[in-house]
Amino acid sequence: MSGSDPDTVSPAAASALVNRDGSVVSRRRWFVIASACVGAAALAAGAALFRERDARARDGEAVLATVLPDLDGRDTPLAQWRGKVLVVNFWATWCAPCREEMPQFVAVQTRDAAKGVQFVGIAVDQVDKVRDYVKEIHINYPVLIGGFGAIELSKTLGNELAALPFTIVVDKRGGVAHTQLGQLKPAQLDELLTSLLA
Amino acid sequence: MRRRPAERIARAAWVLVVPAFATALAAGLPVQPKLLPPDQAFRLSARALDPTTIEARFDVADGYYLYRDRIHFSVGSSGNLPADLPSGLRKHDEFFGDVETYRGPVVIRVALPSAAPGRTLTLQTDSQGCADVGVCYPPNPQALEIAVPMAGGKPGAFVEAGPKKSWLK
Repeated sequence: MSGSDPDTVSPAAASALVNRDGSVVSRRRWFVIASACVGAAALAAGAALFRERDARARDGEAVLATVLPDLDGRDTPLAQWRGKVLVVNFWATWCAPCREEMPQFVAVQTRDAAKGVQFVGIAVDQVDKVRDYVKEIHINYPVLIGGFGAIELSKTLGNELAALPFTIVVDKRGGVAHTQLGQLKPAQLDELLTSLLA
Repeated sequence: MRRRPAERIARAAWVLVVPAFATALAAGLPVQPKLLPPDQAFRLSARALDPTTIEARFDVADGYYLYRDRIHFSVGSSGNLPADLPSGLRKHDEFFGDVETYRGPVVIRVALPSAAPGRTLTLQTDSQGCADVGVCYPPNPQALEIAVPMAGGKPGAFVEAGPKKSWLK
């Protein structure tokens, strides 16, 4: 923004504004430039908000369009939970941080099921290991086996490294309300669900 | 050099406006841990020491760890090759029991199924690790082209594994 520096105001511009000390020129220039910048930033922010909302709706539809086999090999469409607050958790038995946060999900599923909360686990793992763990902690929500498609879905939703745990929260209208790489802290999950169930 | 009042006001305005926008932008972004891609978190290199021995090395970045029992090597359809995995740091895992992890550099000797003097082999590796921030990477298969020396020849140079596009491909 060197042009805004009063010392570099060109003689032509200064004379056009009939101003000897240059102060009016610099003030006007600053005003114009500042307004333009603020205006452009506001426009960009507005556009970004719209794009963001579009992206959330599109990503939510991608989640709801997912169909994966359950532990018995039956195809399970996520679309059956449209209209609920859907918490989709990507995990694996080889991921200790994933296993750590899951008993919390079991508890919240029990607590908030009647309010319209549905957890779904997508295991990026072998079915026998998954079955063992599901039994061990008495998981009370559907656990599906995610293959290549599930990894791609999680990448589409911003988890480029396909790292776990990765959790997506879809609101009642089908838009992605939150994505989380790494554990969801209990307080964070409660706050999120409270706001989405309100 | 005295600044004119207008300039001073404008500068002050930017001092306020720019951080305000930056804060607004940052507030809109979800807070997620910054993660290295697995190939950088667990840098793999390997060389042939002699016609029957490969030396593989993982350089594990600070804040990351590899699971010892999830490191495997193979050549072609050899199945898992015998590997001299040094003992790691013990860690209790509620599901898998006691497990060992590697941090920092770890050097592993791998025995080839048969002597391959003067040949170039594709060493396939599989490894899996996590970051201390609380996330784990999927198993990460990699492949390295290793030139094997002739019997009595000098060990080859270390070859580094390059980045991969997808862990499943």
